Amino acid sequence: MAIVNYNPNVSLCGGTPPAPAPAPQGAAPGTSVTPSVELHVCMGLNACKGHDRNGTNNCAGTGYCATAQQHNCQTLNNCRGQGGCGLYGDAEQQLIPGANECAWQGSCAVPIQAERFSTLGENAGKSVWLQARKLFEQRMVKANRSYGKAPYKCGPPQNWLVSVLGSYDSCGNSGDKRCSFGFNDPEVHAKELCEGKKE
Amino acid sequence: MSQNLFFKKESEVTPANLGDAIQQAIEIEIATIPVYLYTYYSINRSPDQDAISGSLVQELVKSGKSVADASAIALDLSAEIMVYANKAGALIMSVVIEEMLHMALSSNLKQALAGLPDLVGKSPSVWPTCLPGHEPVFWINKAGFSLKQLETFLKIESPDPLADVGLLQAPIPYKTIGQFYDMIKECIATNDLPYNTHSPQLLPGKGYYAQNNIDTVYYDKDHKPHFTNAEDSGDLLYVFDRDSALHAITCIVDQGEGTKDVPGLNPDGSVDCTAIVPADFDDKDKKELCHFEKFAQIYCHYKTLSNKFNSLDIGVVDISKYFVTKVPLNPLTVDYPSNIAPVSDLLNGIYTYLFVMVENCYMKAGSTQFEIFMFGVHKSMIFILNSICGDIMKLTYTTPQGEVCAAVPTFEDYPFGLLSSPKSQLIDLYNTAVAVYPTISYLGPRILDLPDVPLKIRGKF
Repeated sequence: MAIVNYNPNVSLCGGTPPAPAPAPQGAAPGTSVTPSVELHVCMGLNACKGHDRNGTNNCAGTGYCATAQQHNCQTLNNCRGQGGCGLYGDAEQQLIPGANECAWQGSCAVPIQAERFSTLGENAGKSVWLQARKLFEQRMVKANRSYGKAPYKCGPPQNWLVSVLGSYDSCGNSGDKRCSFGFNDPEVHAKELCEGKKE
Repeated sequence: MSQNLFFKKESEVTPANLGDAIQQAIEIEIATIPVYLYTYYSINRSPDQDAISGSLVQELVKSGKSVADASAIALDLSAEIMVYANKAGALIMSVVIEEMLHMALSSNLKQALAGLPDLVGKSPSVWPTCLPGHEPVFWINKAGFSLKQLETFLKIESPDPLADVGLLQAPIPYKTIGQFYDMIKECIATNDLPYNTHSPQLLPGKGYYAQNNIDTVYYDKDHKPHFTNAEDSGDLLYVFDRDSALHAITCIVDQGEGTKDVPGLNPDGSVDCTAIVPADFDDKDKKELCHFEKFAQIYCHYKTLSNKFNSLDIGVVDISKYFVTKVPLNPLTVDYPSNIAPVSDLLNGIYTYLFVMVENCYMKAGSTQFEIFMFGVHKSMIFILNSICGDIMKLTYTTPQGEVCAAVPTFEDYPFGLLSSPKSQLIDLYNTAVAVYPTISYLGPRILDLPDVPLKIRGKF
């Protein structure tokens, strides 16, 4: 629905705090509850079996796609750990794709295309997805968990995402992140980004 | 914008008028933002290379080149246009980002030395406009990208006084922005002033300011990204004593005009590109030029590229046709027809609400300030404002002069009333706009998400 209505209680700041909602009535004994999956931001970042978008992956790290809600810009993530990063945000934020502290604190779109690079900080000019995967692998090692290879070594390519999602892009005016104008060879540059060569 | 309240009779900054002087500095910074943004949005940063190349091949073949030669030349030059359009956009955006930083630094300065900064209603309301207090007066238009508009940008950022030739005469409050800041510095350096360390400021380390984002990046012909701002060229600063106040001003001046006595700006406002030597950097690694030299670089690159096209024997080529959208001069929302005006009102409401929220950040500390800034200012600026600027430019209209132009963001202060909250008025604006332009319906939930902050009651604080 296009029309929206003003309600001070849905505002984050400055409005009157909302009244507490009534306590929910307990579910009838024996009612089954569908377990939630862990929400993560991209291919190869799932911690458990069956926790990718299709629910069919058989191992940590091997899932095909994000379980967090797809979005295309900074501040649009729903909750903790559900934001991407790379194109916006400060240097600190750009080091923690998929590990933001709270809703709306992600600094870029989800999922994270293989072509996306950081624009600030230690990871500037390098792959965002590889940084996200590095954090994921560190978490798995700390938790004594085994994990498998991601379906794509450097994360999901933009073309693949479009083929799966219908359409997808992260925001910004500077043109296509995998642009092929001039004398560019997209495959060469994707490979460089994948291998971690600083642009 | 309150034009030049300061300096009507006085010509120096004293402890008595320091607050007015800093407020004037804030208004100078604010005045540049709509000008640079307007020109920015007239640039198509990723034009259709095939279309450019195709038309060039046709022209070159007509002039006697073989198809193979024409194709090779067209590929090369069309790539140069692609790079140039993106680079011009990136450099202008990199300056806009730093102008916003300067507004915040000046506001921190005012908060520490003179009280709350006034930001709402300070954008220029009459066009062409001028910088408050600048002498000589020179007129500034909201205009599309061109060499002439770049000359205006260079005047704004000029480190050296402008020649008076052909310009209006006026009393002399200050001759360059740097000189104006020097007067404020002198007052701060030579007086023992009290510093308010209890009121909120916009502080570093909270993620409020980022030197680069994807819009300050451009790609070269080999698709290597270039980051136009350096990470160590400047950041927000907490102003709490004399040294920090002077540090904030130094950052503003170094990033803007840079050092004095830069050659290249001719008395008529044009640039002598043979005299321009990029040498004035803001950072230790010498990666980021000052604003003046960024604009000089775009200006001279434009001329070089034009010369390449004009040496092809295909007639006089205005390269701007490849990447600049035809936009009106100094449009106002009242100029737009009824299918565009409500969209423009919404855009201006969002633009003004940004200033409302930043003002509120100077009245709120801690997590409330953080939420207003991160979820209000960032969301409004990066997602909502940028999106609606793109959407409005898909609409066209016929100007009173009979030209068909794209509707462009006018960046006017929207006059929020006092009878209801600005956010509720913003939602009304959205509902009216979406009724005439359903394309923007995706913005509804995002506007609903914005923090609900009040207008500052003038004179109360």
